Amino acid sequence: MSYASWAWRVRTAAWIGLVAGLCVIALLLAGRNSSAQSSANPASANPASANLSSAKLASANAANAEPAVRIPSNVAWTEETLKLVSRGDAFRGSLLGRRCNHCHGEEGFSSVAAFPNLAGMDRMSFWKQMQDFRSGKRSSPVMEPIAQGFSQRDAADLAAYFAMLPTASDPQDNRAFPQAMHDPARATIAIRLIIFGDGQRGIPPCQSCHGPVFYVKGAPPLAKQNGDYLEQQLQYFSNGFRSNDINVRMRSVARQLTAEEKTAVSEFYGAGLGPGAN
Amino acid sequence: MNRSRATKKIGFVVVMILFGVALFSTRYYLVDLPVYHFFGGGEGPDPPALHLRGEFVESNLGAAEGPSGALTVRMIAQQFVFVPQCVEVPAGVPVTFRMTSADVVHMLSFLGTDYGLKVVPGAVTEATFTFSKPGTFKIPCHEFCGAGHYAMRGQLNVVPQDQFAGMLPGERRACELR
Repeated sequence: MSYASWAWRVRTAAWIGLVAGLCVIALLLAGRNSSAQSSANPASANPASANLSSAKLASANAANAEPAVRIPSNVAWTEETLKLVSRGDAFRGSLLGRRCNHCHGEEGFSSVAAFPNLAGMDRMSFWKQMQDFRSGKRSSPVMEPIAQGFSQRDAADLAAYFAMLPTASDPQDNRAFPQAMHDPARATIAIRLIIFGDGQRGIPPCQSCHGPVFYVKGAPPLAKQNGDYLEQQLQYFSNGFRSNDINVRMRSVARQLTAEEKTAVSEFYGAGLGPGAN
Repeated sequence: MNRSRATKKIGFVVVMILFGVALFSTRYYLVDLPVYHFFGGGEGPDPPALHLRGEFVESNLGAAEGPSGALTVRMIAQQFVFVPQCVEVPAGVPVTFRMTSADVVHMLSFLGTDYGLKVVPGAVTEATFTFSKPGTFKIPCHEFCGAGHYAMRGQLNVVPQDQFAGMLPGERRACELR
C-alpha cells in the first residue's frame, strides 16, 4: 500500500471527518443535556447568575420573600487568612498573653473548670474564636470586650504562643484539669461516640474532626480541655445560643446528642481520658 | 483462527450494541460533574466562603419554593455532615437539587431510590428528581471523604403530596433527623 495513493488519502480523510463529526455531536448533546438540566429552574438557567438567583427570585415575585441572610462568622479559611494566622509571633504573644493568665492560668490551664484551657490550642481555632468575639458572632460578656482590644495580628501572635505551650501535667500548677468522671459507667457511651460516632443518627466520631485521627480547619483539639466548659458549649450549640460554626457543622452534630451523651463525652475528655491526651 | 474481516466487523458491532444496552438499562441515575461547569463558563461558589455570600448561606439552605411553585432543595456537603441533615419533599413532584461542597468531593446516594448525586467543591451540581413513592430514605455519603466518612449520613423524607404543608413566603424547610 502506497501512502501517496488517492485511495489512502480519501480513506484517511473519511476517518478524520467521522471522528470530528462524532466529537461535534457529543459536544452538542452535552450542551443540550446541561441546558435541559438547568431549565428546570428558570431563574438559574445561566450558571453565571446562579449566585444572584435568590435576588432575582425576590424581585420577580414579592410573594416569595427571601429570608434574611444570616452569616455565622466573618472568618473564612481563605489563603490570606491562613497566611495571616500562621505568621503569628509567639514571643510577642507571650507578652500579650499575660492579660489572659488571670482566668486561663499561667501555663494555659485554668483553675476553674468552666473556663477553657488554652495550652496546646490549635492556632486557627483560637484565632477564629477571637475574631468571632470581636465581631459579636460568638457572645460572651467577658470575652467580647477583651477580644475587641486585640487586633487581628495580636490574635495571631497569641495563637502562636498558646499553640506552643506544653500540655504535659504539672503538679505545681493550680489547674482544674483533669477531673474524674462523676459516673465512670458513662465512659462506654463516650468511647463509642468519640471513636465510632453514630452513623444511624448522622453523628460523625469526635476524633474525625477534633483529632488525633483527623483535623478539620477551625476544630480545636479536645484532649486537654475542661469537661465543664465542653458540656456548656455542647449545650449552647444544640440550643442555638452559640451559632458561630461555619456551615452549621457543630450545631448539626450537637443537636443529635442526648443530654446524657453530652455529659458523657465532656466528662470523658475532661478526665484526660480522650484519645491523644497522652 | 481464521475469521474473515466481515465476521470480525459483525462481532465488533454486536459487542458494542450489547455494551450500549448494558449502559442504558441500568436504573441508577448518577448525576456526575455538572457539564455546564466546563461549557457554560460560569463561576462556581467559593468553597471556603459559602457561609459569607451566594445562595448557600445557612439561612438559604433547605427546600424553597420558586415563583412558579417549583421546589428547589439547596444543600451543602462537608466533612462529615450534610446541611441540612434532613430534607422533606412531596412525592410525585419534580424537585430540583442544588448542591455544592465546602471541602472535598462527596457523593449522595438516595438509598432505596435510583438516584445519586456527585458533589464537587467549586461547582454547583443541579439535578431534578421525581420521587414516586413516599417514605424515609437515608442519604449516605458514597465517596470516601475522610476519617468520618462512614458516619456521614442525611435523610430524605418523601411525604404524600397532600400531606406536604404549603410553603410560606421566604420559608426554607428542613426536618429533624430521626
